[in-house]
Amino acid sequence: MTAPTPAPSSDAEIFDRGYRSYDGPRNGVGTGMFSVFLASVQRALGLRRKFRFKVVPLATIFIAYVPALVFMGVAVLLPSEFADEVVADYAGYFGLLSIAVILFTAFVVPEVLSTDRSSGLFGMYMASPLNRGHYLAAKFGSLVSLMFLVTLFPVLFLLVGYVVNDIGPDGFMNTMEVFGKIAVSGLLMSVYFALLGMAASTMTTRKGFASAGIVMLLIGSGVFSGVLVESGDAPEWVSLLGLASLPFDVITRIFDEPLDQIEGVGTLASVGAWAGVCAICAAIVAIGYKRLEVTK
Amino acid sequence: MNTAAVEVAASPSSVISAVAVSKSWGTHQVFSDLTAEVPRGVTGLLGSNGSGKTTFLGMLLGLHHPDGGELRILGEDPANAGPDLRQHIGYSPEHHDLPNDVAAQDLVRHIAQIHGLPRREATTRSSDALWLVGLGEERARPVGTMSTGQRQRVKLAQAIAHGPSIVLLDEPTDGLDPVQRDDMLALIRRIGTEFDIDVVLSSHLLEEVERIADNVVIVADGTVRASGPISDLRSGRGGVIVQLADRSADVAAALRSAGLVVDEQRDRLVVGTTEPAEELVDAVRDAVASVQAPLRRLYAVEQSLEELFLTEVYTP
Repeated sequence: MTAPTPAPSSDAEIFDRGYRSYDGPRNGVGTGMFSVFLASVQRALGLRRKFRFKVVPLATIFIAYVPALVFMGVAVLLPSEFADEVVADYAGYFGLLSIAVILFTAFVVPEVLSTDRSSGLFGMYMASPLNRGHYLAAKFGSLVSLMFLVTLFPVLFLLVGYVVNDIGPDGFMNTMEVFGKIAVSGLLMSVYFALLGMAASTMTTRKGFASAGIVMLLIGSGVFSGVLVESGDAPEWVSLLGLASLPFDVITRIFDEPLDQIEGVGTLASVGAWAGVCAICAAIVAIGYKRLEVTK
Repeated sequence: MNTAAVEVAASPSSVISAVAVSKSWGTHQVFSDLTAEVPRGVTGLLGSNGSGKTTFLGMLLGLHHPDGGELRILGEDPANAGPDLRQHIGYSPEHHDLPNDVAAQDLVRHIAQIHGLPRREATTRSSDALWLVGLGEERARPVGTMSTGQRQRVKLAQAIAHGPSIVLLDEPTDGLDPVQRDDMLALIRRIGTEFDIDVVLSSHLLEEVERIADNVVIVADGTVRASGPISDLRSGRGGVIVQLADRSADVAAALRSAGLVVDEQRDRLVVGTTEPAEELVDAVRDAVASVQAPLRRLYAVEQSLEELFLTEVYTP
């Protein structure tokens, strides 16, 4: 006796994926820019990539937040009168972030910008609805946002920790005032280092060269201006040529910390130097990309 | 949401139009007078290496601006057209460099999104496009781990995933072995015939263009040497054959006196080489009539694309 043959299912069908033309709505350029923004952030942080691509961004972010955790621990463990003396203030914490910021600028910005040119992706972007302006705006936005991870957010984290541990600003208005100063400082620093990294990355398609160039520029300019001023032959304003320390000088003025400011240099000169460096870097990027021929 | 679509139907018979287009790189003139109409269907852009094929595609994409003349794609000037035009153009570059550590599906989806597709559509269509080019099982693999053939397929997938009206393929079979080349050509032919997408592919390989293209544009020395449907170009460009019952020598002499090249073979005359067939037929008719020769047969020879190319490119 044979088993009955099962009746064919009426739901069975041959599924051919085929190709469908697309006549639906299309988003504008803004959505395309946002897609570039997101892809850049993912790339910089090593998301959807192998673990080795996550090491540098995670390490720099770690370096940026660890001191804040230490200061919070000190604030919890020590009586407030001692803790006030030991823990860093907000402007001082921006200064502590310099190593993390330099590393982040040197390794993350070229990853976001130079790679597109070496991999030919830039040419594919330019063959899309995006133009150079859209592309650079999306990249700049992504880099400033990424910079917030090692500039703005660690100090905001510190503020929250201090407030929770009762060594923060007194009252809501004072807290908001400090919050505002931190936000402006974080923005100034992020814009500055993003533009500086973009300018260096515009000059080469090799990530390694761009990274080395950024480190040498930031550290070398500080050593150079420091030697000139220390030797006593140069005026004090030469200290503004130290590209790594320049934004921190502006921040000390935002927080009104006269002891940490460059002597003999006014706030206008300091802010002017910051704006000048930003403008020069922006011009290098704009001219570099305007002249860039899409050859592949 | 931008629903404005470029109306291909505005110019139903021609997707690309170039009139006296000129372009130089520094002192090197790439095009001096590029004039051509590219009809719908699959079109091969033929030329030797360095003849300016990639520059022409770059101008169609708006990446390079012509120095002079008028260029249109889908009825619009690519140098001044906005995003609405480029949303409807797919492009596969010649180079094989792609972001090595990005998964194929992520790359294709990303390119679809910047061409205006909503994220969900971009995700679905990028997967479909990769299945279509035979990389469905490999879609999660980083592009850097793929062979040249697979990279060519990824480039093709990203060119069609966003539903373009036209795709520009720059040397799409470069670096492929014969089997991969056959598969790729079959796929391109399918795109041009079944999917209602017009295709322009640049190549210096005549055989592959002859196999899949309906039309051809041959560029050399800064100008278009020939363009149009391949069948039209081939027919009537290889001379005519004349078979006579008698007086072949007299007819040959009459044709030579009319300035035509005549090859006297055993039982026939091969007349002309590059002249249009209609002119040759008229000349043979006159010669046969003048010597009262008994004509048995008269027909045009179809020229191969290779012969056509060599004639157009290398004949001064």
